[in-house]
Amino acid sequence: MAGSGRSERAWVRGAQAGSVSDLEALFRAHWPRAFRAAYLVTHDAAAAEDIAQEAFLAAIRSLHRFDRRRPFAPWLHRIVVNRAIDWARARTLRGEVELHDVPGADAPEPGDAARLAAAIAALPPEQRAVIVLRHLLEYTPGEIAELLELPRGTVNSRLRRGLDALRERP
Amino acid sequence: MRRELERIEIPGEHDARERAWALVQTAYAQREPAERPLRLLRPVLVTAAFAALVGVAFTPPGRAVVERVREAIGVENAEESLFSLPGGRLLVASDGGAWIVQADGGKRRLGAYDEASWSPFGRFVIAARDDELAALALDGDVRWKLSRPAVRLPRWGGSRTDTRVAYLSGRELRVVAGDGDGDRRLAASVEPVAPSWRPATFHFLAYVARGRVIVADAESGRRSWSQPARNAVRLEWSRDGELLLVQGRRSLRVFDASGRLRYDLLVGDAAPVTAAAFSPSGRGVAFAQKARGRAHLWVIPRLRPDASAAREVFSGPGTFTGVAWSPNERWLLAAWREADQWLFAPSTGRRRVRAVANVTRQFDSRSFPELEGWCCA
Repeated sequence: MAGSGRSERAWVRGAQAGSVSDLEALFRAHWPRAFRAAYLVTHDAAAAEDIAQEAFLAAIRSLHRFDRRRPFAPWLHRIVVNRAIDWARARTLRGEVELHDVPGADAPEPGDAARLAAAIAALPPEQRAVIVLRHLLEYTPGEIAELLELPRGTVNSRLRRGLDALRERP
Repeated sequence: MRRELERIEIPGEHDARERAWALVQTAYAQREPAERPLRLLRPVLVTAAFAALVGVAFTPPGRAVVERVREAIGVENAEESLFSLPGGRLLVASDGGAWIVQADGGKRRLGAYDEASWSPFGRFVIAARDDELAALALDGDVRWKLSRPAVRLPRWGGSRTDTRVAYLSGRELRVVAGDGDGDRRLAASVEPVAPSWRPATFHFLAYVARGRVIVADAESGRRSWSQPARNAVRLEWSRDGELLLVQGRRSLRVFDASGRLRYDLLVGDAAPVTAAAFSPSGRGVAFAQKARGRAHLWVIPRLRPDASAAREVFSGPGTFTGVAWSPNERWLLAAWREADQWLFAPSTGRRRVRAVANVTRQFDSRSFPELEGWCCA
């Protein structure tokens, strides 16, 4: 849960001034979505934890020069999603297959949420990222283009192809 | 799609968060602070003060001092959690989100919203956070939402068949239909006071701009009337739509539907007013003031020009930040910030005051939650 603009600015100011409680408020407000975004792009809980942790550590290192007039979330999400894309690309190249990707004979029928997660995992990392940024983190295509430093047309076509693929899932 | 994505289960999510927090906290402690001399000094002072307080608390006389302090702020034997309401449902906003409290004391979190208010008949909630306005069912399901910059102070008005939502986007007052269509600007440069719909209409809306309370036709934009209202902080129509309560920093005025001043409830040098509310019938007003560090809860059961009917219901150290009437008008709820308690006081008669403690914790909040409304009979 992200705080209101006012409370978030107060947390950043407090964290910059040395307040652990304000830092914790900032962390707890932003961790859930950062972690979930990383998971949806990587489809790997351990990788998502590492990536989200690293994003927050990067935030700590840069905190003293963060302009608190800007919202905190886009800054954090840019780090999370870009690192998640990098991880997912590298994994694709390695050709890994997780054990849970191989259905067992007694595996229970996955629910809707699990099917959606699997369908997203089947997309190329770049499409996963724009879908997560658009539909989980609720950025506009223009904001996504800025976050990922891509042309807006590229964002739109990745979104369209990704959503088309998800709609066709069984 | 967002809800579906949020429902995807991630293995070990909770543990991952706590591990990450431990790491982040360590990294934060090890970083180079920007202004070392000041930051070192402040913790030493705080530690010394805390040690003194703890030292006092552990001696028998010290324990007595602490007990007296605890008694002085808050009602003794307050309930540790809210077991029941005397009817209706409460809407609460905290930095832990927006919540509904049911009559049996059960709570449901609607989502990560900063502000919320009831629809006219309590079947929905309109909520706001950052750049989003959302209409919610009572289970938190989003019925529709709008993106606008700096959304604040949403209010939902209208009849059973047609409703409108008014809200602030920055300094603009905007109106949208109850189904989320037709969003448009009604007024610019308004003050940050929640607008108030005249009940049972989706036409007349009261708001504050340039030091005046203005009642306008929200369809045409035409002003019906306006009156000076410097430092107005809250507007509320009575349920029958005949009276408008304007709460100022040190004033409480009641206007009739044509804009004539009917009651000026406080004299010129009154103590600051921290909360006020019409009774459900519209015949009475409850309000809170703060004077010399003490909060006072008053009730005027029947409005009269000389306000001589005002009766003090309760007082204690601190501030009552919100006041609400129960739907059956028999109880008043005062939000007591310094005590971190909700106080339920009878609006008439001599029934015992009840209190609920630890309100902040019960709503997963860091600051004292806001009462956003007590609905419905």
